Amino acid sequence: MKLTKRAGACALAVIMAASSSMCVSASDETIKLTLWGAEEDQSLLQELVGKFEETYSDQKFDIQIGVESESTAKDTVLTDVEAAADVYSFASDQLTDLVKAGALANLEEVGQALQVAGRSLDDVKSENVEASIEAASIDGSLYAFPRAGDNGYFLYYDSSILTEEDVATWDSLLAAAEENGKKVGMTLASGWYNASFFYGAGFTTSLNEDGTTAVDWNGTSEKGYTGVQVVQAMLNIAGNPAFMAIADGDISNQLATGELCACVSGTWDGITAQKTYGDGYAATKLPSYTIGDEQVQQASVAGYKFVGVNGYSQNAGWAAVLADFITNEEAQQEFFAQRESGPTNKNIIESDEVKANIAIAALAEQSEFSTIQMVGGKYWDPAQTLGELIAQGGLKADDEAGIQEALDSFVEGVTAPVE
Amino acid sequence: MKKMKSNRTSTIVLHNLLIAVLAFIWLIPIVWLVCTSFSEYSGMNTSTFFPKKWSIAHYIKLFHPDTVVQFPQWFLNTFIIACFTCVISTMFVLMVAYATSVMRFKMRKPLMNMAVILNLFPGMLAMIAVYFTLKSFGLTNSYVGLIMVYSASSGLGYLIAKGFFDTVPRALCEAARIDGCSEARIFFQMVLPMSRPIVVYTVISSFLVPWMDFVYAKMILNAGISSKYTVAIGLFKMLDKSLINTYFTQFCAGGVLVSIPISALFVIMQKFYVEGITGGAVKG
Amino acid sequence: MKDQEKNSPAKAVGSFFKAVGGFFGEFGTAVSKGDAAVKLSLLWMGAGYAKRKQYVKAVIMTILEIAVVLFTVKFAMQYVPKFGSLGTVQMEKVFNMETMKTEFNDYDNSFTILLFSLFSFVVWFAFIVVWIRNVVNAYELQKLEEAGKHIKTFKEDLHSYKEEKFHVTLLTLPVLGIVIFTLIPILLLILVAFTNYDQNHMPPTNLFSWVGFQNFLSLFGGGGLTVTFGYAFVRVLGWTLVWALFSTFTTYIGGILLSLLLNSKKTRMPRLWRTLFIVTIAVPQFVSLLLVRNFFSNGGIVNTICSNIGLTGFLRSIGLVSTSYIPFLSAPGWAHVMIILINIWIGVPYQMLIATGVLMNLPEDQLESARVDGANPFQIFRKITMPYLLFVTGPALVTDFVKNINNFNVIYLLTEGVYTTTNQAMANSQAKEVDLLVTWLFRLTQDYYNYKMASAIGIIVFIICAVFTLIAFNRMTSGDKEGTYQ
Repeated sequence: MKLTKRAGACALAVIMAASSSMCVSASDETIKLTLWGAEEDQSLLQELVGKFEETYSDQKFDIQIGVESESTAKDTVLTDVEAAADVYSFASDQLTDLVKAGALANLEEVGQALQVAGRSLDDVKSENVEASIEAASIDGSLYAFPRAGDNGYFLYYDSSILTEEDVATWDSLLAAAEENGKKVGMTLASGWYNASFFYGAGFTTSLNEDGTTAVDWNGTSEKGYTGVQVVQAMLNIAGNPAFMAIADGDISNQLATGELCACVSGTWDGITAQKTYGDGYAATKLPSYTIGDEQVQQASVAGYKFVGVNGYSQNAGWAAVLADFITNEEAQQEFFAQRESGPTNKNIIESDEVKANIAIAALAEQSEFSTIQMVGGKYWDPAQTLGELIAQGGLKADDEAGIQEALDSFVEGVTAPVE
Repeated sequence: MKKMKSNRTSTIVLHNLLIAVLAFIWLIPIVWLVCTSFSEYSGMNTSTFFPKKWSIAHYIKLFHPDTVVQFPQWFLNTFIIACFTCVISTMFVLMVAYATSVMRFKMRKPLMNMAVILNLFPGMLAMIAVYFTLKSFGLTNSYVGLIMVYSASSGLGYLIAKGFFDTVPRALCEAARIDGCSEARIFFQMVLPMSRPIVVYTVISSFLVPWMDFVYAKMILNAGISSKYTVAIGLFKMLDKSLINTYFTQFCAGGVLVSIPISALFVIMQKFYVEGITGGAVKG
Repeated sequence: MKDQEKNSPAKAVGSFFKAVGGFFGEFGTAVSKGDAAVKLSLLWMGAGYAKRKQYVKAVIMTILEIAVVLFTVKFAMQYVPKFGSLGTVQMEKVFNMETMKTEFNDYDNSFTILLFSLFSFVVWFAFIVVWIRNVVNAYELQKLEEAGKHIKTFKEDLHSYKEEKFHVTLLTLPVLGIVIFTLIPILLLILVAFTNYDQNHMPPTNLFSWVGFQNFLSLFGGGGLTVTFGYAFVRVLGWTLVWALFSTFTTYIGGILLSLLLNSKKTRMPRLWRTLFIVTIAVPQFVSLLLVRNFFSNGGIVNTICSNIGLTGFLRSIGLVSTSYIPFLSAPGWAHVMIILINIWIGVPYQMLIATGVLMNLPEDQLESARVDGANPFQIFRKITMPYLLFVTGPALVTDFVKNINNFNVIYLLTEGVYTTTNQAMANSQAKEVDLLVTWLFRLTQDYYNYKMASAIGIIVFIICAVFTLIAFNRMTSGDKEGTYQ
């Protein structure tokens, strides 16, 4: 009962607010906010928060900045949602779990607060590329502000060794590498990387209502390829002596040794790649691979970095304003300038500087073939094992029954019910 | 005669050689740690044992805090936590050990069996419950909470100390009792001084806990404020995928710096081990 | 020693119930035979003491009683009534634009209800014990008064905590710490095994509720879980036991041998050598283990050296290795052996320290008389040193075994993130060949928020370990040999 009354009052407030666009004035109360961002972004975040406090100087703030890497945000937040930061950044694949646990405020409601900044949620939706908004939405509601679109992978290569024709297909790439006594590296033991072969052949993954994952990789894709064919193609690549299967997260180490003339990775390894390849530093979309006598373009997973508002934030309104402030066009410009982070803002993507950035340009080139990976928690372990089996040669390319069995077993694990 | 002597010399040489070989094996990783910490390269070196270029740059960086590394502050935090943990844990362990070893009371056996049972339970599982217990006292993100987690349950680790107290001659205690000494005096003035080795052991092992733990510390200090970290979480976070290439050498340097005072502690305490043997001689 | 308790677990349990029976018996007598003051103690805990002029005690008891009543009214009643349902009010919220804040309803948090109810139960249980003791004490006082004996003053009472009740003084704080930080969390997780606390029911946003034995049923074949769960469980349990056995005995024996080696008269500069070994303990485990892990990684230094000297090629040619590197920590078999070897590296110096400390307390006279009798060093070791060591460190050996069953650090630091299983059945249950039960459970809770299943498995593991260790422990301390060396 109490609640509905409040809701009524609130709706009234919204109408009033809308009529006199800036009805929310600064209150005397000090607004306490905590903000979590990646370790390497700390100084930039400090700068942005300083600007934020200046912009709203008639409101008193006490903003604390903490360290929490985007890749581990979910683990920390879900341990104790109520103790987590009001505003935090996270990687796009964590969105579903976070929303399910109530750890993200629905921006369709809280986003009203943006009118303090003279903006609305629609501005956010129109300023950023559609794919990023789509990835940040569930059932049509936006749950996070897109901040970076560079959480995906593509091909780095040394242009002093490899030509553009060489990097067009895996076959020519591996042949050229072998000729030069170098290797091509990719992580196979990770469901995030190895899915690229399956997505490329037209296979899909999706989430069911009950949180389980739907996956059809043991069957035939809409493009008419079978899962067995894809695995055979992967085995052919993995079995090539010029191919090096690298453990997840170990690519930059291997890059630094100078043994790799090309590798599949993302912007996080950009600096290492630049150092290793020097003048030969180049990047492009992923190569195509061979199924039978056809060439199939390898796909990729489009990953984003989001900034969300905690569903249990005491100051959800100001939290939303802050979250918007550190993801708006100006902020993304700063992130690009200082951290070489690939923007999601349409204006910045179109700017010449961004287009001149080799890694981000390659990512944009690959984006045509990228998908948003919709999978549940049960996907990762079986997918990693499947990748490792291929990397270690645990499956044989001519043993179709064995491959089919492995794929069946994989699908069984991935589609298991969620507890 | 002469032949026998040379025979003995050769066994002594062999004996010491064996120890030297073992020590060498034991020290390889440590030497690698020290060498790597003096490397100029900031990432991980996978091709050679010794760094290609030597430098102390990473030690200097450790003492110039940036947003990631606040080593001096972490060190101080951990030291404070370790001191309190050490005092409380040592007291608890010795108290429980003495009560169960020397004294006789009705609940003694049930309590000891209880302790065994509790030790069996996988502690990792209880972590989240410990966290919410602390939270209900408002002690998360505080050193008091962390100290409590490290020391409150330390009484459960009493068995080694009890084993030691068991070897203290009971006749001495009886004699003291007949002389009218209180139990408390027997504990503090007779048994404790005789048990210096085990006291030292307990002190060292409880002092080390905060330097080693990264699971509980990460859970309890969860505000992400880097200046509040302990050394363990601070160093552990340097190995984050996005940081490891910039900070691996600093991580090694930090590891070396943490090890130095702890090693010193061990070396000094070793003397007590030797001196504390007197307890054995009294047991005539 | 005279108080030799015959210890079989059955008898331990039996004597426990006997003690409980006696406890209530005393209480019955006290209530039926006590005078008005004793009976009043049932209501006002200070009554008995006040009657016998122990005013300070009366005040303390009264304050305690009031405190517990306040605790019950102010705190416990918020949670205990909801214990049966674990909460019914779902979280709802609405954003208020005017205040820029989200407004929440007064929602229930199942986890808090569970935790605080349990906390209340423990407080009440302790209070009831005190309350019964209190009545019994009041009756004792009555008997003393009737017999015309001296009733202790408060000062004398206090004094007794330095004397015959010194164990109470010693044990109160440590036991309190254990109850709050170990016992309650464990009881809580036992309760969680009977709820549906998982990713679909995560407080505070969602409520969870009691499901009875459902989790255990699904663990033993019923629906819900993947078919491979039992398969993974047996394998993980097997490796856990093998690991615990090997790691305990290798480090224990290694430690004793090393300490004998170092303490031998033949050793030159024993202090220096000992210090060198101790340095390996002084490096925090997460530093040294992570380092060793990189040392032996697929692209690590050891592999580089091995392939340079041709060892990798040799192993490939005899079929021990199928990859271009030696999978020290990334293939089953290899990893199992390496983990135990690395654990020896980490654990032996510790055990050496302990053994050294104990050996220095060897009964010198026994050694002396043995030497006089012409025993050779090996005989001395077998007949005197070893039994003594076993006696002193025997109980610790059992604890070490249990600690190793739950040894999280070594396995987690060496394998997390680098070991990938190629066994699909294991992977489908989120397990790896090198997982101990703890690391597996840790992953189930940390990555899959499957607290109910982790707790259920935890309980089963616990039962297995409990049976084993209680027997071993009571064997080892059986007949209470505490007096043997005194």
